[in-house]
Amino acid sequence: MSQSGVQVDAECVSKFNELKLGKSIKYIIYKLSDDFGTIVVEETGSDKDWDNFREKLVNAKTKSKQGKEGKGPRYAVYDFEYELASGEGTRNKITFIAWSPDDAGIGPKMTYASSKDALKRALNGIAAEVQANDEDDIEYNTILAKFAKGK
Amino acid sequence: MASQTLTSSMQPTDVYGGDEVSAIILDPGFSSVRAGFAGEDTPKSFVSSYYGVNEGGQVFGDDAIHNPLAGLDIRNPMSKEGIVEDWDTATRLWEYAITSRLTSFKQADPRNNGLNDDLKDLDVEMDGVEEGEKPLEEHPLLMTETAWNSPKNRERAIEIAMESWGCPAFWLARNSVLAAFGAGKATALVVDVGASTASVLAIHDGLILKKSIQKSHLAGNWLSSQIRTLFATSEPKVELVPHYTIMSKTPVDAGAPAQATYRTYEKEVTDSFRALEEERVLTEFKESVVQVWTGPGRLNSPMQAGMTNLEYAKSQPGRVFEMPDGYNQMWGGERFTVAEGMWDERAALPVAGEQPVQKGQTISEMVKASVNAVDMDLRSQLLQNIVVTGGTTLVNGFTDRLNNELTVMYPSARIKIQAAGLTAERRFGSWIGGSILGSLGTFHQMWISKKEFEEFGSSVVEKRCK
Repeated sequence: MSQSGVQVDAECVSKFNELKLGKSIKYIIYKLSDDFGTIVVEETGSDKDWDNFREKLVNAKTKSKQGKEGKGPRYAVYDFEYELASGEGTRNKITFIAWSPDDAGIGPKMTYASSKDALKRALNGIAAEVQANDEDDIEYNTILAKFAKGK
Repeated sequence: MASQTLTSSMQPTDVYGGDEVSAIILDPGFSSVRAGFAGEDTPKSFVSSYYGVNEGGQVFGDDAIHNPLAGLDIRNPMSKEGIVEDWDTATRLWEYAITSRLTSFKQADPRNNGLNDDLKDLDVEMDGVEEGEKPLEEHPLLMTETAWNSPKNRERAIEIAMESWGCPAFWLARNSVLAAFGAGKATALVVDVGASTASVLAIHDGLILKKSIQKSHLAGNWLSSQIRTLFATSEPKVELVPHYTIMSKTPVDAGAPAQATYRTYEKEVTDSFRALEEERVLTEFKESVVQVWTGPGRLNSPMQAGMTNLEYAKSQPGRVFEMPDGYNQMWGGERFTVAEGMWDERAALPVAGEQPVQKGQTISEMVKASVNAVDMDLRSQLLQNIVVTGGTTLVNGFTDRLNNELTVMYPSARIKIQAAGLTAERRFGSWIGGSILGSLGTFHQMWISKKEFEEFGSSVVEKRCK
């Protein structure tokens, strides 16, 4: 399989385990280091508001190899909490999000897409995955709709 | 991928030290070969896959093959499905593509670089090359291949890279995966329409789902054959006259007979040469005149007010096309009809010597068959992640029509098509993907090194490049 070969920083996994075990972290945003060599933790947060988290992805930036800043892809893990339609309480799904906006440059898009597997394999216990390429794809309701189908 | 990582002692970093020596990206297709250095935006070398043969031997490249004086027979080393048929020639063609245009190469001595060889002396001359300097000794090579390439052909590719060219490292990447990654997607349905093959296949997490592969011949060359039929059946018949036959022309009114002086050649050109030159005129016609009916509905389906879409299309302003001999006419509804067979088999124009188009060969039916071949849970995700690539998808209206066809086919699904806006990204999608991948500092641990090749033989490519 054609993969970029980037490394996954150890903190990526330790933060993920914190999210998984404790309830203090709600989400983790990962990015590629500036030299495109390692996947690192960009930030973690405990803010439960989905839209704030979504804003962070929408506004993410990456520098192209010419140093020009443009829209940037990201990976994220979100402890997605939702109410069952039947009213039988709430469920949690640790969701992996591969965010790659269509209007980002081809260089970052290519690099993130060919590095995703390395990170995903390092994280043990992901319940769902979302591939998102435009802002609609990361609306709360779009993601909820995926889970509501019983998947 | 940790299991594939080489330990640091095995990493041949001394051979190709990261950024200092660029990898070469080689993306061979049926109509053209794209080659260039990793990290660049577009391939520096863009060479026709067609080559010429005359009593002097084989000639390669656009500067040589379009010469009507040379008595060339025009051939192509690739099969209609885009995989190599004639390896000896393909190797020489690719070597030409790399060494003729990429600046840091000194071409081997013309007496023995194989490009000017007499066919009969070939065996002798090839021995000479073996002993001399090999062309790619300093450059890792990343090559692309189709999803349906055979294991035998894959092994042949690494043997050429390692043994004939002396590459220090090699990688073979699926062109459809590169196109999907370039669109930022590890999971995608890739619709690739090139010169000889149209294909649809599903990729999940960077791996091609074999059972989803669909392909047909309804691609660029087939579109040319439709235009030929259109010209031949027009009233009056439209003559397809390539540029090389024209000495001078006088402007004429639309539809009036051409007033041109023709060149004569002492030696008649071959049929294959004429066909190649005719194809250039047809390419121009495709780029400037042909239009896909974007929908809604099909070209022959009824519109409101008792009119078919075709009748409506005919009422729209046409486009003028001037032949090399000066003949020109307005093309109205016809510019839609030639492309309609890609979507509606009943609308395909008959081509002499070919079977009629089958329903399953149309683009929309291939999408359906491909999607139906994968796991139910994956289908809706694929339909939301359709990546359109390949030069023929640049025909006006292609993406809009695909969207319309699929919206009708899957009324409750969300259809999302991603097609690069830049022409170069659509034509060279897989080359550019390879260029980015091959330029990443971290990719050096993915390459199959020469040492690995020597240890495990050519079957290593099956194990590593899945």
